Amino acid sequence: MNKRGQFCDNVSRRSFLRVGSAGAFGASWSLSGLLQQQASGFDAQTVDERSLIIVFLKGGLSTIDTFDMKPDAPAEVRGEFDPISTNVAGTQVCNHLPLVSRQMDKFSLIRSCTHTISEHGKADHYLLTGYAPTPAFKASLKPNNERPSMGAVISKKLGARGSVPSYVCLPDMHNSGGASFLGPAAAPLSINADPNDPGFTIRDVVPPMDLDASRLDNRNELLATVDRYQRSAEATVNNSLQSLNEFRERAFSLMTSAEAKQAFNIHSEPSSVRDEYGRNSLGQSCLMARRLVSAGVRCVLVSHIGWDTHLNNFQNLKNDLLPNLDAAMAMLYKDLADRGMLDSTMVLVTGEFGRTPQINDKAGRDHWGPCFTAMLGGGGVAGGQILGASDKTAAKPAERPVSPEDLAATIHHQLGINPEDEFITPEGRPIKIVNQGHVLHELV
Amino acid sequence: MKVRLPDRYILIAMMLLLASTIEASEDGIGPADEQQRVYFDTDVAPILSRHGCNSSPCHGKAEGQNGFKLSVFGFDPPADYEAIVMDGRGRRVFPAAAEKSLLLTKATGVVPHGGGVRLSAKTTDYDVLRNWIESGARYIENPQKLVELRVSPDEKILAFGSEQPLRVTAVFDDGSHRDVTSLCRYRTNNEGMAEVSEEGVVKVGQSPGHVAIMAGFLDQMSIAQILIPNPHSADSPPDIQSLPTTDVNPIDNAINRRLSQLNIVASPRCDDATYLRRVSLDIIGTLPTASEARQFLDDTDPDKRVALVDTLLEREEYARYWSLKWSDLLRVDRQVLGHKDAYAYYKWIRDALATDLPVDDFARSVIAADGRLADHPAGTFFKAVPESGKRSSLLSQVFLGVRLECAECHHHPFDRISQNDYHGMRAFFEPVSIVSTSRGELVNVDGEPVAKHPRDGSDVPAHVLGQEPVGDTSDARDELARWMTSPDNPWFARNMANRLWAHFLGRGVIEPVDDLRETNPPSNPELLDVLTTILIDNSFDTKALIRSIVATEAYQRSTTPNATNERDNQNYSRATFKTMDAEVLMDAISQATDRPEKFPGHPLGIRAIDLWDSEAKHYFLNLFGRPLRKTSCECERIVETNVSQVLHVLNSGELQSKTAHPASRMSRLETSGRSAESIIEELYLTYFSRRPSAEELERVVAYFDRAESRQDAIEDLAWSLMNSQEFLFNH
Repeated sequence: MNKRGQFCDNVSRRSFLRVGSAGAFGASWSLSGLLQQQASGFDAQTVDERSLIIVFLKGGLSTIDTFDMKPDAPAEVRGEFDPISTNVAGTQVCNHLPLVSRQMDKFSLIRSCTHTISEHGKADHYLLTGYAPTPAFKASLKPNNERPSMGAVISKKLGARGSVPSYVCLPDMHNSGGASFLGPAAAPLSINADPNDPGFTIRDVVPPMDLDASRLDNRNELLATVDRYQRSAEATVNNSLQSLNEFRERAFSLMTSAEAKQAFNIHSEPSSVRDEYGRNSLGQSCLMARRLVSAGVRCVLVSHIGWDTHLNNFQNLKNDLLPNLDAAMAMLYKDLADRGMLDSTMVLVTGEFGRTPQINDKAGRDHWGPCFTAMLGGGGVAGGQILGASDKTAAKPAERPVSPEDLAATIHHQLGINPEDEFITPEGRPIKIVNQGHVLHELV
Repeated sequence: MKVRLPDRYILIAMMLLLASTIEASEDGIGPADEQQRVYFDTDVAPILSRHGCNSSPCHGKAEGQNGFKLSVFGFDPPADYEAIVMDGRGRRVFPAAAEKSLLLTKATGVVPHGGGVRLSAKTTDYDVLRNWIESGARYIENPQKLVELRVSPDEKILAFGSEQPLRVTAVFDDGSHRDVTSLCRYRTNNEGMAEVSEEGVVKVGQSPGHVAIMAGFLDQMSIAQILIPNPHSADSPPDIQSLPTTDVNPIDNAINRRLSQLNIVASPRCDDATYLRRVSLDIIGTLPTASEARQFLDDTDPDKRVALVDTLLEREEYARYWSLKWSDLLRVDRQVLGHKDAYAYYKWIRDALATDLPVDDFARSVIAADGRLADHPAGTFFKAVPESGKRSSLLSQVFLGVRLECAECHHHPFDRISQNDYHGMRAFFEPVSIVSTSRGELVNVDGEPVAKHPRDGSDVPAHVLGQEPVGDTSDARDELARWMTSPDNPWFARNMANRLWAHFLGRGVIEPVDDLRETNPPSNPELLDVLTTILIDNSFDTKALIRSIVATEAYQRSTTPNATNERDNQNYSRATFKTMDAEVLMDAISQATDRPEKFPGHPLGIRAIDLWDSEAKHYFLNLFGRPLRKTSCECERIVETNVSQVLHVLNSGELQSKTAHPASRMSRLETSGRSAESIIEELYLTYFSRRPSAEELERVVAYFDRAESRQDAIEDLAWSLMNSQEFLFNH
């Protein structure tokens, strides 16, 4: 399905509506907003409202079993699941995603995602940064970013919205979620706790209970006295000291933020809503992502592990992984739409790659970079569309191949960031935000 | 419907067409002039390298790109010829209309190309490719063999912001020369100090020091070494008086000579307290206690720093701390080995350090470990790392600082290591396995030290890098171990010296420390030579080298920068702020509060540096970057500071409760009846190993005076000290 031509000037219908109302929001105009608008064709208000949630299915979702099924393929490829209809005529998904099938109109399927890295770590870096790793890449570094992750770019380009951090990793830091040369100001806050735990609280953002506000002020004053390197000549020539100073400032603003406190308190969410998202790590992380975006966080990266189904792919998917994904993903889209947040919140659901068309001898599927499906919706991205197509066995894209660069370019473009812009590294090298990515104009 | 010819007909037609073109050119024009003949291996293939066509993210990766696969970095010209001319149904080259060849239309972006525009039609490289295609796209191998690459200038002093074009000459076996400047690929070993363009023009940045620029052509590499001095400026002439001239010791002499060349004035010596803290953290991973600090500061012996080092080297924490480091590198991985074996392996490492086993003996014990694991726990290495290729790569990386793993699949792009070398090293470990017997597990050697070359399946006999296969021995590993640890080995002693130096100074003479190769030379060759000689002359006794290092002026410098060295991050002109190991920082906090930390699966009272099991669950240790021992890279430990770490030290209930605990140092001080001044001094000595300055004392006393309670005041001070950069870094 090709929607090119419907918006031949690449400005979506929604933007037209926005342009007319921009004057009413004059107060939020700023120079940077204006510049962003020029770059993207969106008005400043739209740009400022936009947020991104990435639901990253680490290990690699088997999209041939879920969002790009091949019922007519030979048995050794087809798999055990059956397709079902969705609320978009002609589009089918797997029978273990019944809830998602009723939200199909809210997001689109990109069925021709492709890259050539079939290795964890490297592929994660490619998807989350838009840059393929170099030969010197060390996956085990924490973080391992050779280039800034999308969240870090957003954080750097758009800055914080209110007193909450602009970029958060849930439940743990993703190794490729880092800021690379963009430095500490663009690095994510990692929650390091599972929102599904009954006693969940975000660690360490609140001073110990018995410290009242005045005591905290006193302590900070004393710290300034005691910490002689904070404003020393040393601090200006040592990166490690500069980073610590920067992070300490961010830490203090987070500790004193009422919005952050409220957003992190997942226990204040009605029990029924928590149930609908699913009482599991993925479900509660998606709910937390929605809460954080409501509070002003610009990018939330939810990384969920367990998708590396080399063994018993079908049992694992249908008994455990898919029911949780079904509830979490369907509810996230529905909840955002019900709250009027979907137009401003883009949600990307993807793994680092797909899985082999051929089922292996352990009833599993192995890593497969050459072809997989990514789910993208909200934030001005059309819903219910199918972009590109895979071949008969989902081994290769049959049309409209989409690279991680294209995905990154589209996401940045929708957030009002020009993917062609360059950063200058501390060494003075210019690095493009996205290297030769093309915005998927059919979807925006 | 379109009628399609079967592919092979098209291929045959193409080949006929090619053949006729070749004939035509030879018959019609006569034998091509030797000067104009385009050689595939030395003219065509290098162009593909230069424009990144065969780099690993593009057509050089194992599976190729969109059906077009080149050998990575062009180390296999016949295969590349096959890919360009024979594969792809001959669409890639089209001699009848060379400009229409996909090879050119893709590269110039005339036809959409996933890799973008790589080549302009107005360049010499384009002309070479076109001429080659026009003249029949033949595989003509250059009869001359490349023997050497010469870069000019090979050494040069360049000013901030200046540019320098390089010229590279290829020398062939018949003595002929050729300018290959435009055919080389270039790389800098320090992007921050100087970069190099695709055309071989070096552009210098704004920090003083030494940079190596590598030029590579075919399988040869050479480097240009660039020295970038501070400018002499009218308003800040270097203070000639303080430029080091006197002869001190060989290490400082080497550093001082370099600093003079760079117009850098070093920072002065640090004070006693800084030295005490720095050298204690570096040698034994342990913070000095308040009483140790007091004793050292009040000691009037002029040689007290030397005496201190002697004491530290005899402390049992020395072996405890360094066995942590070695356990990271040698993969004491409980998840793989199980509790019993992991502990026995760790214990062997710790005992070796406690008994001062020289590092060459230490290395040999691992490389050639034999017999029952119960008798020779060093052999557990072979259980932790079962694959022969990983064993040789890992041991090379750790003991030689040589990264072999690139050469598993292709010639090392920046070194002389070939695939054959990789498999020759792997072959040593092919016959080695761990077998279970009634006498327990043992390292078993069975079979020939031979590895199969993955490309053609041929046998590669065990041989060390760049040398002939080993002769008949019962266990070839003995030969390998002797070669690796010999004082004549070009890497072993240098690598060990460099690693130790990097540990103490925060930066290796070669960086990264595990990447020794000709194209990544030491920033100060004389310095590395001196360090290496000291290690060899002392029969690989690491403590002797440590003594020499920590006695240098370079190690003893203050962190305070001056106008000439504030941009120097390379030449040891001032002390830097080193990140503390997660374990060392945890222990420092426990020691300062006098509240031990409990680690799951280990008895109370065991310190973090004693944790032989890197998997023991612990939030603090994970947050501050304890490595998981999944690789042998030093880099696994390095973790960027992040906001969660800062928040944890500021707010963590666990750390707070250490301070507030009734048995903590703080609680005891509160009830001791000591004066505010005395308590403040005690805490400064505890956290910072120094006494407060008069001004600091006055301000903190004032804080104590207005605090609601003495307990609050003490806790607040302890919290402030713990959150200070002075405490959180090793400086």
